[in-house]
Amino acid sequence: MAARSSASVPANDILRQSALAGLLVFGLAVALVGVRIQDGSAAALAPLHFRFDDVLTAAAAAALGRFGVLLLRAGLHAPVAAGGAAVALAVALAQWFAPAHPLRLALLFDVAMPNWLIVAFAAFLALCAAWRLRHAPVAVMQGADARESVMDHLGAQVQRIARFAGPLILLLAIALPLMPFADRRLIDIAILVVTYIMLGWGLNIVVGLAGLLDLGYVAFYAVGAYSYALLAQNFGLNFWICLPFAGIMAAFAGVLLGFPVLRLRGDYLAIVTLGFGEMIRIILLNWYQFTGGPNGLTGIPRPSFFGLPFTASPPEGTHSFHTFVSLIWPIEFSPNHRVVFLYYVILALAMITNLFTLRIRRLPIGRAWEALREDEIACRSLGINPTNTKLTAFAIGAGFGGFAGAFFATRQGFVSPESFSFIESAVILAIVVLGGMGSQIGVVLAAVLLIGLPEFFRDLHQYRMIAFGAAMVGIMLWRPAGLLAHREPTLRLSTQGGPP
Amino acid sequence: MTAAPLLTVEHLTMRFGGLVAVDDVSFTAETGNITAIIGPNGAGKTTLFNCLTGFYAPTSGRMRLAHQGGEFLLERMEGFRIAAAAKVARTFQNIRLFRGMSVLENLIVAQHNELMRASGYTLAGLFGLGIYRHAEARAVERARYWLDRVGLTARADIDAGSLPYGDQRRLEIARAMCTEPQLLCLDEPAAGLNARETGDLNALLTFIRDTHHIGVLLIEHDMGVVMSISDRIVVLDYGRKIAEGVPAEVRGNPDVIRAYLGEEQGSEMGGAA
Repeated sequence: MAARSSASVPANDILRQSALAGLLVFGLAVALVGVRIQDGSAAALAPLHFRFDDVLTAAAAAALGRFGVLLLRAGLHAPVAAGGAAVALAVALAQWFAPAHPLRLALLFDVAMPNWLIVAFAAFLALCAAWRLRHAPVAVMQGADARESVMDHLGAQVQRIARFAGPLILLLAIALPLMPFADRRLIDIAILVVTYIMLGWGLNIVVGLAGLLDLGYVAFYAVGAYSYALLAQNFGLNFWICLPFAGIMAAFAGVLLGFPVLRLRGDYLAIVTLGFGEMIRIILLNWYQFTGGPNGLTGIPRPSFFGLPFTASPPEGTHSFHTFVSLIWPIEFSPNHRVVFLYYVILALAMITNLFTLRIRRLPIGRAWEALREDEIACRSLGINPTNTKLTAFAIGAGFGGFAGAFFATRQGFVSPESFSFIESAVILAIVVLGGMGSQIGVVLAAVLLIGLPEFFRDLHQYRMIAFGAAMVGIMLWRPAGLLAHREPTLRLSTQGGPP
Repeated sequence: MTAAPLLTVEHLTMRFGGLVAVDDVSFTAETGNITAIIGPNGAGKTTLFNCLTGFYAPTSGRMRLAHQGGEFLLERMEGFRIAAAAKVARTFQNIRLFRGMSVLENLIVAQHNELMRASGYTLAGLFGLGIYRHAEARAVERARYWLDRVGLTARADIDAGSLPYGDQRRLEIARAMCTEPQLLCLDEPAAGLNARETGDLNALLTFIRDTHHIGVLLIEHDMGVVMSISDRIVVLDYGRKIAEGVPAEVRGNPDVIRAYLGEEQGSEMGGAA
């Protein structure tokens, strides 16, 4: 594939490949898109509803798109720029100004979304062509290598910027609840995103640094959540006392998982961790005397602000948060106080995770994790104990998952096994992989993309998951190492003084 | 010097099912000597190394290592302990660098155990105590020393995987030396090197032997290297030791010539070309 050159491709070859793409889409879509089974009252009239016009549109769009891409590869930049722009403009205008025009309905899709996709792709192609027209020499550097180096450069740039932008982003995050536009919904989404950022950073230790593919990370999240819930309910301990315990319990669970999988790597490790994640969930589901089974645990105490509860009317003689603050500065009770407080708690926990990871990368144990990821046999030949090194990675990564779990329990006030299904592990892993393994800022970006955007774009309803899937496939094709995968050495000889 | 030799291998046998890869091999290696282990392909040289460095548990036999750090029976030790406690370092036939880490980091990882202790098993390091910073500075100094020896100082901060082949070989030796070994096992260090690089390698190995005064075990097919720098040679064929001695003796040994060149005309088996 990489051997494609900018040298001219024969014209009939271009036509053949374009026709093939159209045919392929036709074949794939003819049953899936072309025939729709009616339900309800419409089914009595006609059980099947045919949409072959849409299939033809899809096939034509695919053939045309492929034609454009091939022309671009053949070096015909000007026609592609013009053609792409024309198609984008035409479809956009038709979609915008003539939603019910019979000609538009015959040529384009009935629904708006795929039409906008066509517009976006055509515009993208036109922009690519236009860009190459102006920067001709870069077009010679092609294929996967060029893209890798450009993206790696981008990753390096972002990491350099992140050194200065990181504190700025943190300041913005701290200021977020004070903004005038910060309503309850926004802060709830922010809490969710920061929770996933923390989970991503925790899993990054195991997957990104130590290279141990863990598909059951949500198990540690669950252990943390249930540890807090059970300790708080049975012993009446408050959140801040339980938090370290939840982390320690989860770390123990990490060691428990670590022992049997010490010799496993790659696919085999992934399968066992996947099984472990499910085991924890099934134990929670079935041990109902202890965990409440499928009903879960309710009435988990909410966190207090250094002993001051967030209640509207505290018992006589005691203070709640708002009455206490009112001693200095009169404020009204608001249910948002607790939400904002929770937001700051998770922000602090996430920042601890981040600082810890940044620090430990520069310590011998962190370097040993990375070395273990690179080559375990070489590690053994250098006297590094692979058992201890792996177990600490599992334990520390799990511990942060446990902290996040305790936070989850106190935020929801309710835990049940449903919250800890495999899809959670998959999403957290997707955040790490998408962001670029080992990249801290990449996790932030990926969590915002994967958690924040879908929450904001709930209006897209059924297209949401399609967009999610398409984004993942795109990343795997074009940037398998992740968006911002770029590794900076943990120490440099040049900055260590001595002769240059 | 009447002290016990650095390494004493006695009746070492390694069986894989029906295949006897190393068959009753005994030899010694001295501190301050380069001992070459040669033999045709499949003679069991790398298997012998894997036994010595703990990657295989030998079927029978004894491997005793004695130096100022104490006496060790290698066959009873776990792989990583052989490197950490008994101070045996090795390189690999197919280079095994940490390719995604920088050249300098490769050399720092080699000093893991020392740095672990200095960082108070991570705790002191986590809080940025001075004791760890000093230890790290010392580790970087040692790394710089070996980078200077192998001529990679200018490339210390690039990924090890992007070095040219010959540099990777030398970096692997430098990494092994950063563990401060008493016995250095080199598995075909000259494989794939050009003539100039081979010359550099010879100089490096004699420097290691003479200046750092450690024992070197060397598997090598390049007879130019073997004959010019080794003090003793052990010859293996089909897992058995067929000759041992100084280079001049081994070069003239008829068994060795037969193992390398096939049977001579007129011998009992008849000419195997």
